[in-house]
Amino acid sequence: MSDLAFFIDYSRCIGCQSCVQACGECDTHRGRPLIHLEIVQRADSVQTTPQVCMHCEDPICARVCPADAIKQTPDGVTQSSLKERCIGCSNCVMACPFGVPRYYADINQMVKCDMCYDRTSTGKKPMCATVCPSQALCFTTLEDIQKKRRGTTIREWTFGDEHVKTKVFVVVPAETNTVHIDQLRRSVSPTSAGAKPRDLYDVAELLEA
Amino acid sequence: MERNRSSSDVLRATCWGLLVAALLIAGIYIGSRGLRDFDPALVPYAGASVFAAFGIGYRYSMWLQRPPTRMYWFRGWQVFLRPSRIPGNIVRWIKLLLKEILAQNFIRNRSRVRWASHWFISWGCLLAAAITFPLSFGWVRFETARNSQEIYDAYVFGIHLSSFRLGTPMALLAFNVLDIAAVMVLIGLFFAVWRRARDRSALAEQQFSQDLLPLVMLFAICITGLLLTVSTHLLRGAHYLFLAELHAVAVILTLVYLPFGKFFHLFQRPAQLGVDFYKHEGATGTRALCVRCGQDYASLMHIDDLKQVEAQLGIRYRLKDGTHYQNVCPACRRKNLGLTQDALWHAAGRGPVEPPQPEVLSAQKGA
Amino acid sequence: MARPPLPIPELVHSYGPHAMRVPAGGWNTIGEPDKLVKTHCCFCGQQCGIQLKVKDNKVVGLEPWEDFPFNQGKLCPKGVKRYMQNEHIDRLTTPLENAGAGAGFRPISWDAALDRTVGEIRRIQQSYGNDAFAILTGASLTNEKAYLMGKFARVAVRTANIDYNGRLCMVSAGAASKKIFGIDRSANPWSDIPKAKVVIVAGSNIAECSPITTEYLWQARENGAKLIVLDPRMTPIARTCDLFIPVRSGGDIGVFNGILHIMVKRGWIARDFIAAHTIGWAEVEKSLEKYTPEYSAKLAGVPAQMIIEAAEMWGPAPTSFLMHARGIEHHSKGVQNCMAAINLVLASGRIGREGCGYAMITGQGNGQGAREQGQKCEQLPGMRDIENPEHRKYIAGVWGVPEESIPHKGLSAVPLVEAIHAGKIKGLLLLCFNPMVSLPNQQFIGEALEKLEYFAVIDFFMSETARYADVVLPGSLMEEDEGTTTSVEGRVIHHQKAVDPPPGAREDWRIICDVAKRLGAGEKFSFSSPREIFEELRVASRGGISDYYGISWERIDQEKGVFWPCPSADHPGTPRLYENGRFAHPDGKAHFQVVEWRPAAEEPDEQYPIVLTTGRVVSQFLSGTQTRRIGALLDQYPEPRCEIHPRLAEKLGIKNDDFVTVESRRGALTVRAMVVKTIRPDTVFVPYHWPSERAANNCTIRAIDPISNIPEFKICAVRVSKAQRPTNAMAALAAEAGGIS
Repeated sequence: MSDLAFFIDYSRCIGCQSCVQACGECDTHRGRPLIHLEIVQRADSVQTTPQVCMHCEDPICARVCPADAIKQTPDGVTQSSLKERCIGCSNCVMACPFGVPRYYADINQMVKCDMCYDRTSTGKKPMCATVCPSQALCFTTLEDIQKKRRGTTIREWTFGDEHVKTKVFVVVPAETNTVHIDQLRRSVSPTSAGAKPRDLYDVAELLEA
Repeated sequence: MERNRSSSDVLRATCWGLLVAALLIAGIYIGSRGLRDFDPALVPYAGASVFAAFGIGYRYSMWLQRPPTRMYWFRGWQVFLRPSRIPGNIVRWIKLLLKEILAQNFIRNRSRVRWASHWFISWGCLLAAAITFPLSFGWVRFETARNSQEIYDAYVFGIHLSSFRLGTPMALLAFNVLDIAAVMVLIGLFFAVWRRARDRSALAEQQFSQDLLPLVMLFAICITGLLLTVSTHLLRGAHYLFLAELHAVAVILTLVYLPFGKFFHLFQRPAQLGVDFYKHEGATGTRALCVRCGQDYASLMHIDDLKQVEAQLGIRYRLKDGTHYQNVCPACRRKNLGLTQDALWHAAGRGPVEPPQPEVLSAQKGA
Repeated sequence: MARPPLPIPELVHSYGPHAMRVPAGGWNTIGEPDKLVKTHCCFCGQQCGIQLKVKDNKVVGLEPWEDFPFNQGKLCPKGVKRYMQNEHIDRLTTPLENAGAGAGFRPISWDAALDRTVGEIRRIQQSYGNDAFAILTGASLTNEKAYLMGKFARVAVRTANIDYNGRLCMVSAGAASKKIFGIDRSANPWSDIPKAKVVIVAGSNIAECSPITTEYLWQARENGAKLIVLDPRMTPIARTCDLFIPVRSGGDIGVFNGILHIMVKRGWIARDFIAAHTIGWAEVEKSLEKYTPEYSAKLAGVPAQMIIEAAEMWGPAPTSFLMHARGIEHHSKGVQNCMAAINLVLASGRIGREGCGYAMITGQGNGQGAREQGQKCEQLPGMRDIENPEHRKYIAGVWGVPEESIPHKGLSAVPLVEAIHAGKIKGLLLLCFNPMVSLPNQQFIGEALEKLEYFAVIDFFMSETARYADVVLPGSLMEEDEGTTTSVEGRVIHHQKAVDPPPGAREDWRIICDVAKRLGAGEKFSFSSPREIFEELRVASRGGISDYYGISWERIDQEKGVFWPCPSADHPGTPRLYENGRFAHPDGKAHFQVVEWRPAAEEPDEQYPIVLTTGRVVSQFLSGTQTRRIGALLDQYPEPRCEIHPRLAEKLGIKNDDFVTVESRRGALTVRAMVVKTIRPDTVFVPYHWPSERAANNCTIRAIDPISNIPEFKICAVRVSKAQRPTNAMAALAAEAGGIS
C-alpha cells in the first residue's frame, strides 16, 4: 500500500452514488456495495455524505466481536469478518462509531468496506476513491493532498470520551486536530447570523431580501 | 484484538484445558474398560487427541472470557432455557440444526462452489471423526466371532452391539467408511482448490497459513489413508508400515493444529445457533429507537447488552450533551459525521454567504 | 401508417425496457478478462476515459482509466454501469416489420428490410418530391457516423431535410459562440478551470449532468476561487458554493446584464482589450444602462444584493471562468441568454489565456463533434454553411458530385416534425433519436409520427419511438464499433471497438452504406471501415472551422486526444482558442451583441400559475433508452418526481410522496411529489427521462428560439394538483417503462 492513503472530505459529496455503484464492481464485493452514502435530509437540503471504513487502529468492531472474527492486515486494514467465524450477531454493526459494518442475513455474515483489498494489495486504488467525481473520497499521498487542498488532514476523533485514531484521514479546516462528536446534529441547515436568522438552505428564505 | 489478557485469564484457561484433557483421559480409561480394549498401536493418536483436548479447552475458555462472547454465551442459554419457551426452542433448534449445520444454507448463499466444497469437507471429516476417535480411544472394537471367521462382532464400551458377516453390505460399509470419508473430503478439497485457484477475490485475499495449510493437511490425511487401503488390497501390503507412519504424522499434526488454526471454528460455529435464539428473542421483544431519527434499529436487549459489554471493554460512548452514542442508529451516526465536518467548513467560511453562529457548532476546534 | 402495432404494455412485455441488474456471465470473479479496452463512456459529452473488461466477446466489467487526462479514472454512476448495456436481454438482433394493428412486429430478413426502405424512399420522393423524405439523427453518434449521415442525406437520398437531436441540446450555445467569437466550441480546455479566481456556473447542475467537472471546480476553490452558481434549484454544487443565485427560469439575462451594468459603473471593464480585439461594445454599453441592480433583480427574480455581490466577485477578479449548460440554453431566447453570458466574459477581457475562459458544457455523447460534421439542416462538414457557395463547392468536390445537386437548407428538428404533422413530410428515417421522450409536447409528436407513410428506425433497443416504426433495423452500440467523438473540451478522441455486434445486428454505418448502395449511390459509400470514413471527413473538414485535417487515429491514441482546429499533421492542435485576442471572425475580432431580456413563450398566468422546469438526474442519460435498461441506475432514481417547495406544497395541500398531476395547456403527467426547500417556491421541477404518462415533455411547449431553433424545455406554465395513485395499464408497468413502482 506504500505511502498512499485514503482521505475524505464529506462536504464535497454530491450524492451521485458513483462510489456505491463502483464499490459493487470490486472483485471482493461482487455486486454487493459495502460503502454507505447517506442522503442527510432531502426535504431540507441536497447534502449527502459517504462513509467508508475508517480502519481504526484499535477497531471497536473487533473488540465487541464475540466470535473474534474481525482481523486487521499487517498494514492496518480492518477486513470483513472471517467467513468461518462470523456468527452474524451484528455487535459490530451497532458498535462501530462510524456506522460502517453491514450485516447480510442471506449469508449470515457481516461484510464491510475492506479498502478494496484485492485492488490495494496489488497497488491499485480503491474503486470508490478512483471514480469519485468530486474527490470527496480521495486515495493519494499525504504530500499530494497537502499540496492540493486547503485545511488540514487529521485522523483523530472523539465520540464522547472515546478517542479513536483511524488509518483514513478526514479533510478539515486548518488548525483542527481532532473531530469531536460531542452532540447530535438534528438540523441540517445552517442559519445566518443576521438579525432575522435565515435558513441558508431554504431557497424561499434566500429570496426574501 | 486479544486485549488485556491478565495472567488469571491464562491460569483459568489452563485449568479448563487440563480439566478437559483429564476428562478425556478418564473417558478413555473407563470407556476402554481399564484399557482392556485399548489398542496400544493407536497410542500416538490418543495422545494427540488428549493434547488437542487440552488446547480446545484452553482456547474455548480464553474465548469465553472475552466480554462480548461471555455475554452472548450467557444470554444465549438464558433465552434458550426460558421455561415457557423451551418446547418451541427445541423445535427451532432442530430446524436450525438441519438448515444451518446439516445443509449449511448460509454458505450456499455465499457461493455454490464454496458450499459444495465446505459441505463435502465438513461431513467427510465429521464422519471420519465419528469412527476414528472411538476406535483410537478403545471405545469401539471389532473382533471376529469366536465361532466363525466369517462373522465380525462390534463392541461399544465393551458391550456387544451387533454382528455382521463378511461380504455383506454392512461389512463393506464398516470396513470402508474411512475411505468413503476420505473421498468426500477429497471431493470437497477439489472444489476448494478449483475455486481458490481461479477466483480473483480468493486469490487476492487468501493466506497460506490461514486458508491453504488446512487444505494441505486434510489432503495429506486423505491420501495417506487411501494409500493404506491401496496397499492392503492391491499391493499385498507393500510399504504399509511406512504409509501408516506417514498417515499418523499427518493426523497428529492436524490434531495439534486443531485448537489453534482455522479448524477451531468447528467449536465456535455452534454459537451461531445461540445468536439465532438471541435475535429471535430480540425481534419479538422491545425495540430500540434511535434518539436522532426515532426509527427502530435494533432490539433494546441487544443495545443494553452491548452497552454493558462496551463498559467492560472500556469503550466510553457518552457524549457531552448527555446522549449515549449507542442510542444512535448507524445511519444517523453517518449523517452526524457528515454534518459535523460540513459545519467545520461552514465555520471556516467555506460555503454560502454568512457562516453559521458559533454556538451552533458542536465540533470544537483544537483538541 | 406508422402506429404502434400493439398496446404499449404488450410491446413493453416483448421488447422492454427491462432493467438488467446482473452483468453478462453473472457476478463472476473467475479468471482474468481476455482484454481491457481503453475507450470512453458513451453517456454525456464529457466522454470520460474508461477501460472495458472483455471476456468471450462480452463486456463483463470495467476498470477506471487513470491515465486519461480529462477524468483521470473518475466516473459518474452512468460510467460505472455503462458496461451493462451490452449483452442486454432487450437487444434487437433482427430487423422487424410492423405487421399492423394487433399483429405486432415480425422478424424479416435484412434484404427485405433494406429493400422495403429503399422502395419507400423512392416511392415517397417520386410522389411528393425529394424533401418529403426526412432524416433525423443524433448527437451521440461518432463523428464518422455524423459525417456519413449528412452525406447520405445530401448525396444518396438528396433531401434537404436532415437534422439531429443536438437541436435539443447545444444549438443555442453554439449559435451564441459563433456570433460573438466566430467558433462554436468551448473556448478553453478544462485544465484552465483550476487556475481561475472566480467561476460562474450558469444553468448547469454539474453534480448530476457533468459530474466529473465537479472536481475541476473544487480545484479552483482550493486555489482560492469564488464560485457563483445560477440555478432555480439549490443543486449539490450550489449548496457549498460562495454565492448561490436562485434565478427564476428565464431570468438569467437579468443577472448577466445586471452584473455588467455594475461593472461599467465601477470601472471593471477591460477597455484596452475591448478596443483592441472587439467591436460592438458601445452599443452594448448603452443597452446596459437600464439594467440597474433593481431592474435586473426584478427580471431575475432574486434580491438585488445577490447581483451586486456577484459583480463584486466577478468584476475585479484577475482570472475567471464562465460555464453554462442547458439551464440558460433551453429557452426561446436561449441564444440571447448565452450571448449575455459571453458579453460578461468578453467585457472582462478574461479570455484566451491561462485561467481565463469560457465553456459550454455539451450534454450528449458526441454533443460537440456531431454538430460539426454536416448532419445539421443548415450545415456541411467542417461546420460549413450549406448556403455559402464557396463551402458548397468545396464539399461538392470532396464528394465528387455537382454543387447544384447538394440540397439547400432544410428544416430543423422541431419544424421538421411539424412538417410531418402538417403532411408535408411523408417518410422518415430515424437513427439515434427518441423523440417520443425527448421532444416537447409529446402528444403532438405522437400524432405526427402516426401520419408518416413510411417510418424506419435504426436502433439497438426498441425505443419508445421505434414502436411507431414500419421497419426497425438493429444497429450497434458504441462498444461494438469504432470511431471518434469530440469531447466537451473540443478534444477529438477514439472509441475503440470492444466486441462485435451480436449476430443479426449490424454497425450503423454499414446499414447506411447498404441503403445508399440500393439507392444507386454505392460508389460514394464504398467505405469498408469507420477509419475510411474518418479519412474522408478529415479532408471534408479541411479549411473549415472545425478543421480535423491534421488529426489521425494514431495521433489521437498517442496524444490521448487532439484538440481541433488542427489543420496539418505537424500542428499541435488547439486546446485553447482565441489566444492573444485573435478571434475567429474574418476581421479577427470578437463581436459584442446587444442582448435585451424578453419573456418566455409562455409565462405563468392565473390559469397556469406555476413554472415547470425540466432537466436530468445523474443516473439517467437523455431519453433513457439505454440507462432505463440498467437496473443499478434505475434503482438509484426509479421514476420521475415533482420537486416542489414546502410553501407551494402547503398552499396546494400536497405532502411529500403524495401523487400530483402536473398539467399544462398541452398535456399532463402524474408522479410523486418531492417536497423540498431546495427549489424556488414559484417553480416545480420534473426530470424528463421517462416516457408516456411519466413524461415531463407532455407539458413542455413547442416554442423554439428563432436563431438556434432549440425548444423551450426550461420554462412553461403549469398547474399542480394532488392526485390519486394512477391505476391504469401504463401505471401498472415497471418504472423503467413509465409505470409507477
